Amino acid sequence: MIVCTGLAFRTIAIRDLSIPSGHTCVIGPNGSGKSTLLSLLAGIEMPEQGRITIDGETPRRTDVGWVGEFPEDNLIFRTVRNEIASALRFRHLPDEELEPRIGQALRDIGCEYLLDARCKELSGGEKALVVLAAALAIRPKVLVLDEIDSHLDRSTAEDVQQILPSLSCMHVLQSTQNMDTAAGADNLIYLEEGQVRYFGSPEDIFPNLEDTPFYPTLWRFAAWSSHLKR
Amino acid sequence: MELALEEVILTRKKWSLCARGIFSEGIHLITGRVGSGKSTLAQAIAGLLKPGSGNIAYHGIYRRTLSMQFPEYHTTGHLVRDEIRSWGLEPERICMEAGLTGRAHERSFDLSRGELKRLHMSCILAGTWDLLILDEPLSTLDPVWKHRMCRKIHAHHPPITLLFTHEQAVLPRVDYLWEIRGGCLHALGPVPEAIPSWQGAPRYIEEVLNYGVVPDNITLEDAKEALCRMHA
Repeated sequence: MIVCTGLAFRTIAIRDLSIPSGHTCVIGPNGSGKSTLLSLLAGIEMPEQGRITIDGETPRRTDVGWVGEFPEDNLIFRTVRNEIASALRFRHLPDEELEPRIGQALRDIGCEYLLDARCKELSGGEKALVVLAAALAIRPKVLVLDEIDSHLDRSTAEDVQQILPSLSCMHVLQSTQNMDTAAGADNLIYLEEGQVRYFGSPEDIFPNLEDTPFYPTLWRFAAWSSHLKR
Repeated sequence: MELALEEVILTRKKWSLCARGIFSEGIHLITGRVGSGKSTLAQAIAGLLKPGSGNIAYHGIYRRTLSMQFPEYHTTGHLVRDEIRSWGLEPERICMEAGLTGRAHERSFDLSRGELKRLHMSCILAGTWDLLILDEPLSTLDPVWKHRMCRKIHAHHPPITLLFTHEQAVLPRVDYLWEIRGGCLHALGPVPEAIPSWQGAPRYIEEVLNYGVVPDNITLEDAKEALCRMHA
């Protein structure tokens, strides 16, 4: 369980929030604080007030895999192999463990072909996938994905969403502007001006947003379709 | 006015993309998978990359520009008002267009990424262009702003507008469809005739096609209208 208590940081103001394990999507208007909240949950930023615990530990004492909204900012090394290896080397894993872990991380997301590529020659979507592979290689307890799907085509984005439940992470925290993606999560957080306006399952929350563009496109389409059949 | 890709080949190590075709006046949607070369082609058309072979001809096109996928690549002004002035535009009006009224004094990089994208898109759409190349113009925008931006693109687009995207939920009405697959750019043709052969179509378009009807265009509203037509 991730527990936020009396949280205040920049525009974020969250009194009490308990996020159960599983896949949680954070949605909301531009500037509502989605990336800021994720960076707090990942331990990248420290709250000005309040505290966050992940199964009783602070975020900085938890293994967190981070895929930021600017994939280029996450890439430090020249080759994909070294980029993914770096996450493991920083944890002092023995050399013989590196290659199998790198290979597995790339296989998990269907990108083995990128192993020997140079990072600067990757497309925007490929950069996001390499950053994801580096995050997965450390087998994190918490995986944070900040709008990764904004860089991916439909097929690749669906592949990524499909592998998320099979990962050993206790928590997958993902911000997205694709409401059809959010509809597949276990939990939803709808942020507005730094505050949690809604928290619950997609089935609980989206009916509140039916008159807005935040309602999932495929749900709307399915509703029209079944209405016309009747 | 038209853009012609004459046997263009773009290469990078083992990767290559071939592209040929005429882009006449209208909105052209170009889709393709991750790594297929959408951004590379956009940069080549903008004149930022030289093709390995072939030629890109700009017939009657004198003013062209590219909006890159990542808005931070474009940002040069420290403050929002500096950024807008760098485009030769009036800060108050553009802030209003971008939903940033009263925020001209803020630092550009203190905006959220979606807000920065709104600022950048508002600046670029306020310009006068013959050819506008938009690489992922809707990414990072929330659903409300995706709809607004689609309306703006449709209402204010220059004579030739190329829209490279993998957006799946909110799209503007377009005139022509193109798709990159198997290392080549394919002209699918004018809309709606091209829609059935669009492999990367959004799920709601696929659903409508599965019912045996072709929507007039590619928006969700067009899909709904096609469903109604089928049941009428």
